[in-house]
Amino acid sequence: MPQFSLYEEEFHPSPWQRTWASFKASHISMLGLIMLALFVVCALFAPLITPYDAVEQNIDGLLIPPSWLANGSISHLFGTDALGRDLFTRIIYGCRTTLGSAFITVVLALLVGVSLGTLAGMLRGVRSSVVNHLLDALMAIPTLLIAIIIVAILGTGLVNSMWAITLALIPQFVHHTRSFVRAEMKKDYIVASTLDGASKWQLFVHSILPNMTEMLVVQGTLALSIAVIDISALGFLNLGAQSPLPELGVILADGLDVAYLAPWNVAVPGMTIFFIVLSINIVGDGLRSSLRKRVSH
Amino acid sequence: MIQILVRYCTLFVLTLLVLTIISFSLAYLFPGDTLENLTGLVPQNEIQRAALEKQFKLDQSYVIQFIYYVGNLLTGDWGYSFTSGLPLREEVGIAMPATIELATYAMLMALFIGIPLGYYAGIRCYSTSDHLINSTSITTYSFPVFWFALLLILIFSLQLDVAPLSGRISLIYDIEPVTGFILFDVLLSDIENKSLAFKDALSHLALPTFAIGAITTASMIRITRRSVIDVKHRPYIAAALSRGLSSWQIFFRHILRNALLPILPLMAIQITTLITNAMIVETLFSWPGIGNWLIQAIYQRDYPALRIGMMAVSTVVITLTILVDLFNRMIDPSREKYERATV
Amino acid sequence: MSHGLVKRLSLCICTALLVASCAKQNKQAFYNTGIIYCSESNPVTFNPQLDTSSTTSDATSHQLYDRLLDFDPNSGRIVPSLASSWLVSDDGLTYAFQLRKDVWFHTTNYFKPTRNFNADDVIFSINRWRLRSHPYHYVSGGRYPYFESIGLAQNIASVERVNGYRVEITLKRRDSSFLSNLATDFAVILSEEYAAQLAEAGTPSKIDELPVGTGPFKFNSYRKDHFIKYLRHDNYWRTQALEEDDNSDSNLTSELQSLSQQQKLEAPLVDQLIFDITPRSSLRLAKLMTGECDATAFPAQTELEVIRTEDDLTLAEKPGLNIGFWAFNTQRPPFDNPDVRRALAAAIDKNTLLEAVYFDSATRAKTLLPAASWAFQNDADDTAYNPVLARKLLADAGVAPGFSMTIWAMPVERAYNPNATKMAELIQRYLRDVGVEATIVSYDWTTFRRHLQEGLHDSVLIGWSADNGDPDNFYRPLLSCGAIPSGTNRAMWCNDDYDKLLNQALQTDDIEERTAIYRQVNRLLYERLPLVPIAHAYRYQAYRNELEGMTINPFGGVRFGGVEKTL
Repeated sequence: MPQFSLYEEEFHPSPWQRTWASFKASHISMLGLIMLALFVVCALFAPLITPYDAVEQNIDGLLIPPSWLANGSISHLFGTDALGRDLFTRIIYGCRTTLGSAFITVVLALLVGVSLGTLAGMLRGVRSSVVNHLLDALMAIPTLLIAIIIVAILGTGLVNSMWAITLALIPQFVHHTRSFVRAEMKKDYIVASTLDGASKWQLFVHSILPNMTEMLVVQGTLALSIAVIDISALGFLNLGAQSPLPELGVILADGLDVAYLAPWNVAVPGMTIFFIVLSINIVGDGLRSSLRKRVSH
Repeated sequence: MIQILVRYCTLFVLTLLVLTIISFSLAYLFPGDTLENLTGLVPQNEIQRAALEKQFKLDQSYVIQFIYYVGNLLTGDWGYSFTSGLPLREEVGIAMPATIELATYAMLMALFIGIPLGYYAGIRCYSTSDHLINSTSITTYSFPVFWFALLLILIFSLQLDVAPLSGRISLIYDIEPVTGFILFDVLLSDIENKSLAFKDALSHLALPTFAIGAITTASMIRITRRSVIDVKHRPYIAAALSRGLSSWQIFFRHILRNALLPILPLMAIQITTLITNAMIVETLFSWPGIGNWLIQAIYQRDYPALRIGMMAVSTVVITLTILVDLFNRMIDPSREKYERATV
Repeated sequence: MSHGLVKRLSLCICTALLVASCAKQNKQAFYNTGIIYCSESNPVTFNPQLDTSSTTSDATSHQLYDRLLDFDPNSGRIVPSLASSWLVSDDGLTYAFQLRKDVWFHTTNYFKPTRNFNADDVIFSINRWRLRSHPYHYVSGGRYPYFESIGLAQNIASVERVNGYRVEITLKRRDSSFLSNLATDFAVILSEEYAAQLAEAGTPSKIDELPVGTGPFKFNSYRKDHFIKYLRHDNYWRTQALEEDDNSDSNLTSELQSLSQQQKLEAPLVDQLIFDITPRSSLRLAKLMTGECDATAFPAQTELEVIRTEDDLTLAEKPGLNIGFWAFNTQRPPFDNPDVRRALAAAIDKNTLLEAVYFDSATRAKTLLPAASWAFQNDADDTAYNPVLARKLLADAGVAPGFSMTIWAMPVERAYNPNATKMAELIQRYLRDVGVEATIVSYDWTTFRRHLQEGLHDSVLIGWSADNGDPDNFYRPLLSCGAIPSGTNRAMWCNDDYDKLLNQALQTDDIEERTAIYRQVNRLLYERLPLVPIAHAYRYQAYRNELEGMTINPFGGVRFGGVEKTL
């Protein structure tokens, strides 16, 4: 085997490699990816990174300012909150809760959405029409409203708010899958497979699904940023996760009570949510434009 | 044409029916007593309870109960709130216009700022100004709305003291609600300090409108920009260029209208986001709208209010969505039914 | 640019500036005609007879109504109000009140008084809560928690009309706190004429929803969760008395002068009074800072420092007549065992709670009584932090490790407990150390209190703000048997010895003697420990510097008579 290929033409990058190459070329997208990776690492290895316990209160250290202020201390990087809990620890665990639950929510919504969307896309006639219209209607109901109703029936809690957000995200996946499947079904290669005698299930698994992954990744990032915002919003409104669970929206709402005395309790969690969402959006944007570039070439 | 209208009407009625069924079943799904959840009346004794059950047909089958329920909804008897004891229709009637007012101004802001900026960025795509606009919009778009509103309060109310942070108008003015839109109500009222009151109402509107509007504007910019870029790469633009049309001519003759078409259906989705954001922002600015009202209702476990509030908000949102969709079909019947622009 | 143009331009600018400043002055003048007070919650009713919460009495007692007697906010002495003078018989059982003439009830769009205030109104107001047979007794629920908790209705033998402006009240037993009770926020005077009109119209419950009183402000409108609006009461009797004073010669006796001073304190000086209902304390402070409110209720302990540093805000403080405590439901096992209660009390460190929850704006409570009361006992016994003892006591009482209980944390901020949830979280941690798993329970305020009254709690963090300075006002409503049904005895504790001692204390007017009895009461409470006293908080009032005449009323709700805005 030669060490390297003399003829570059022999190298045929896979579609993913091409997308990655174009993604890498954009500095902003890479920055976003690094930021996101950082948050994910924080979320995954929270117990290893954090110096304190996230819910353990410390009466002797209430509202210690963050380390960059004059009377702050380096032992509490972001200071402490009104119950003496280390804010840095809570934020890291907050990333874990918020990002983690948002991720689970998106995966769930994706699974359900894709199944329903494929069904709707492959169906014809009245059944399809009914499914489509009902979905359009469902899509129009604001997430917050669904969340409020679920909270009213099941009570508050992180898991219940996740159900609500999953419900709210499903229609988008259904919608995109449906449009995609419909467009694909008209294409020649599908007709060819059909002529080869492929069943609908085989069509879906072998022909449509592989082509759909990219669209799903892009939609997934979009949904992830929405899910992060929604989960923290529900936590903030006291309709989702409940104190003392470290969830970024809850930490922000807790901090609001001491906003004047300890503004960092509002600033830091807010900034964290903002940066998580920003990094997801940048990555999603970069991914989309890379895909677009690849397709248009 | 008529076929489309009929189609949309049936769609609308069907959706409303589904919503009504959901809202009716909520009375059973919510914890507590079904009769109380359904009516908002708490019977003091067994005799009263029996009478009420008879009145609301609770002793009969679900279908009859539901038909009676729909009848009540249509005649305007929506039940009573647990916490205030007032008729829900009255409460919704006050809260709903406040939200619609806020959302309307925010939408106008998004249309008048977002679309032109989007066009500009799309035309000048991949230039410095485009990058600037695009990155600003992606940043704004990433703000969680509650945090953004808090920042606005912190900067403009508490630090600079240029705008008040709560309510629609200073409580010192006694404005009769006529239209439910505060600006119009002030103009219609006969108080002495009308101009003062109007300015006060405007200053109260400024921050919440901006908080909701900014995020909608950001997504409007992104949608428009993408649409313009897509249109720019169409063959007919190349054809127009080759015919020797100037870039201004191309813009006005081809890009302007063609780029607008895919934006419209996306506006329908924006309405939902807009209302959700309005509901969150209302709680922060103590805006007496439907979102604030619903969130107070859930805090107090006011089930009849939740039942009707859900119905009211989704009806408004769905009506708007379907209208935008219909409008869209009217001006462009040729397009594929489910095609939508991407961001 | 020619000189002419410059001249004209500068003239224009000058005029514009002038107009602008004029407009600004107009605006200020207009805004000075109303006071906006950010209150923390909705009043339960507009009749303080029906509710003991301070939210209700803040919104009604001193705004809409007057009482027969008042407390002087500075000395705590009882001073005349609607009763211009009173006589007590030698046996201490009969009280004769001489009523003021020319006192008018509010004229509103739902009621026009045809006669002024007289003895009928007093008799109606007292009989409404006193007599079960009274037609208005069961209107709006028929519960009068304050009067029930002190058992006043049972002690009054009769309320007689002597003539139009003279009323005689006869008691069954001597009660040295009787006059104090008549001066509390709850003993307001309603209009008998209005009640009669409503009864005729068949809508008696309106008396508590669309209130009519003699107070400095009259009701205008109310929207739940948003606002209450009041208008100035133009015929207010204290205003009239004030004007008469001005017209008469200035050779008044000093006593009369001080009286007119007092009256001036209470007269309405602004056209509008608005309660802006804002449950979130950080938002109340924000509104105060931006000037959307002129004064706010209950600044949170964490915000006091901020208010002190703001130049245009004033923070008034006074030691409060209150007690924050942790009460056990003594009717539920194992909390019916005093040893278990003592164990739980020993498991918590009160000083830490004081620091973390009150931020040192409170003093540690040993008994129910704060230092401001004349019966305060400095050397009373107090529980101490001792987890070892706690574990031992629990084991002895047969409470297994891992025992779970509920701590109910009230959802609202009160001076006596600014953050019950936080306190509950701290206690939860302390209890975990002694092997007790506590869960924290909270509902909205109305539901919370209803469930408490039903006795669904294991233990609750709540407190009491006194309505008058009399020690009986602490001991009786909080722990006497009679206070269980009225819903102020959160420990559901009933002890005959305790009630006997309390009654004994009321038989005498001698302060030394009463103090001695209350020492015995304290001892008894320390032994039985139905509740753990935690803190006596200071009372704070934050307002903008423009407000003049704001004072803290230690004996009840906030008052806006006599307050004006100047700038």
